[in-house]
Amino acid sequence: MKVNVDKTLVASIALHVLVLGWGLVTFSSKAYVAPEESLPVDIISTDQLAKMMAGQKTGEKDKPKPKVEKIAEPKPEEDAVGKVTEKKELIKTNSQPEPPPKPVEKPVEKKPEPPKPVAEAKPKEEPKPQEKKPDAAKEDPIAELQKKLDTKKPPPKPVEQKVAAVQPQQPPKPKERSFDPAQIQRDLDKRAATRHELTGSALNASAALGLATGTAANNVATWRGAFQGAVKRCFTPTYNGQDADQYEADIDIPMKIDGSLASEPIVVAVRGPSRSIAQAVAESAKRAIVQCQVYSFMPKQQYESWKLIPMTFGLKDML
Amino acid sequence: MNRRRFMTLTGSTLAMLGGGQTFAQGQPRIRIDPTEFQPIPIAITNFLPGSPSDGDVGNGVTQVITNNLKRSGLFAPIDQAAFIERINNIDVAPQFQNWKTINAQALVTGRMTRQPDGRLKAEFRLWDVVSGQQLAGQQYFTSPEYWRRIAHIISDQIYERMTGEKGYFDSRVVFVDESGPKERRVKRLAMMDQDGANVRYLTRGSDLVLTPRFSPNSQEITYMEFGQGDPKVYLFNIETGQREIVGNFPGMTFAPRFSPDGQRVIMSLQQGGNSNLFVMDLRSRSTTRLTDTPAIDTSPSYSPDGARICFESDRGGRSQIYVMAAGGGQAQRISFSKDDTNASYSTPVWSPKGDYIAFTRQGGGQFSIGVMKPDGSGERLLTSGFHNEGPTFSPNGRVLMFFRDPGGNGGPSLYSVDISGRNELKVPTPGFASDPAWSPLLSSTAGQ
Repeated sequence: MKVNVDKTLVASIALHVLVLGWGLVTFSSKAYVAPEESLPVDIISTDQLAKMMAGQKTGEKDKPKPKVEKIAEPKPEEDAVGKVTEKKELIKTNSQPEPPPKPVEKPVEKKPEPPKPVAEAKPKEEPKPQEKKPDAAKEDPIAELQKKLDTKKPPPKPVEQKVAAVQPQQPPKPKERSFDPAQIQRDLDKRAATRHELTGSALNASAALGLATGTAANNVATWRGAFQGAVKRCFTPTYNGQDADQYEADIDIPMKIDGSLASEPIVVAVRGPSRSIAQAVAESAKRAIVQCQVYSFMPKQQYESWKLIPMTFGLKDML
Repeated sequence: MNRRRFMTLTGSTLAMLGGGQTFAQGQPRIRIDPTEFQPIPIAITNFLPGSPSDGDVGNGVTQVITNNLKRSGLFAPIDQAAFIERINNIDVAPQFQNWKTINAQALVTGRMTRQPDGRLKAEFRLWDVVSGQQLAGQQYFTSPEYWRRIAHIISDQIYERMTGEKGYFDSRVVFVDESGPKERRVKRLAMMDQDGANVRYLTRGSDLVLTPRFSPNSQEITYMEFGQGDPKVYLFNIETGQREIVGNFPGMTFAPRFSPDGQRVIMSLQQGGNSNLFVMDLRSRSTTRLTDTPAIDTSPSYSPDGARICFESDRGGRSQIYVMAAGGGQAQRISFSKDDTNASYSTPVWSPKGDYIAFTRQGGGQFSIGVMKPDGSGERLLTSGFHNEGPTFSPNGRVLMFFRDPGGNGGPSLYSVDISGRNELKVPTPGFASDPAWSPLLSSTAGQ
């Protein structure tokens, strides 16, 4: 059976396949090409992160409260047993002993007291030394390490001396243990000098732009708004005619630094179709200004900016 | 109305321009535009009696002033029980701190003294409590029976000094007093002070009266009365009690109103099924036709300058408000309801200030009282209800009075409302009352 193949049909199919195939490739490739914008990314090393967080960690460690609690617990238990008379004597001694010599006189009576808590505290302390024993066991590997770090011992000693003056001795020790990789990185990275000084605000650049709810940059507008609101509460104009929006009164207000008026408000200008109504608006505004003082909320450090406050009173929203 | 913008610079201002002003130029002005007003707290002390017999009149004057200012809605008189200081001499400055303590912004003191000739001497002082300055101080002499009017005049002085606008307390209202059962209601022409005192009846009630209107000098009233034949427009002289028919037209005449100069009366004249506007010169008695349409044109009202008139007409199929020149000509419709295309407008009246036209609007099953600008913009409904009708402006254009009929077996009563829609109050009348018309300020028309 012979099949007649139309050459034009074949050519048409081939052409369509070619066009469709080209379209799939080109369209799909374009679809995958997403217009990505380069985003500034700062790589923060663990060391930088540790420095950023260092303030908080050290702050918490500085509080030696747990030691006080341990000492306070045993005392109330033994005192509550019943040496009330002895406590009274202690109170007498406490009231008198301003200088240290007085405790020397009372140790005779106090001696029986401290031994008891010590006797009871000893069993509690006994397990602790047991816990310390494993610490002693730990000393062995350290001793072994010390042998390896004989060369490194001299540098920690001067550090301990410097720290002894300031008192934070412990921080240098962990540095010694994690010191090797960090120091290697510092030695290899010549840019470390600049990168190490980045602070949290510099690393998080968006934070420096401020929040939408932030008001730190609006200090001047803040006192203006507060002053406007304070005066507005006392402003009681009575005119609400059709032409109310044409009435205005410009008034300058001399202020003292304590928020009171330095002198009577000054009517600079009044505007409106009726002179009597405009004058009444100005007088109403003056009454409001005087009646609402003292404006004690005004920021004294910005006094120069509100030493003379120019205001305009209008009626455009009266109807 | 011509309005002149002006700017005043005080002496201190000039000083500021020379020196201190430069300091203020460094920063923009802080602007305050309150959205609503609060009434001014004011302390009104009892007027001191010049003699023991003057105590009652002194207290009466104080009470009238307090009532006037309180009803205006612009003042909040402070209860005298809260007063710390007792005024014993109005010629000595009060201790302002005592009045600041009770939050008073203004203080009124006064004295009523009977003179040797029998007249009454009234003195008052208005103090600015905040600045400690006297804002106003006047004295008046009058017959003892006019002590209420003195109280109204003092009220106007206080109102004007504090708000900058003319007052409206020394004025009267003419209205239709209604009495008797609903099916046999007796309607008399009556007149009273704006606060409801001193009611006088001008007609006996034998004939029905409607639409009374004051003349500009408040000495005459024009109104429509149903007599033996067709209803006619009458002119009534308050002092003499005499009345006369305005014109001698074959048909019914109604809805009269004086021109601002008082020399003409504009009214409607019925001709068949239509009515047109006519104006009659009271001196020459000549009449002029202003409209000639196959429609009902009525309720004309002049603008304050007398150049234009507004009126209602159903020439468009429904009663609407039109404005045209006082001499006639092309009329322009100004009432277009945005929310109710079937609403109709009637009883337009032009404000004495010229800034608004008040009207009655019927639509949605309710009658409303509202105002709009003379060009039709800024329409504002002030009150709505079963039946509100017939607005009339106070002399200063700040307050509207109208009548309200609740329906049923009751009758209408008079109400007032601020043009902003606030402070709606019932006006005291001895009985039912309708169709009020406010007079001009009496003290300003005394010389006319």
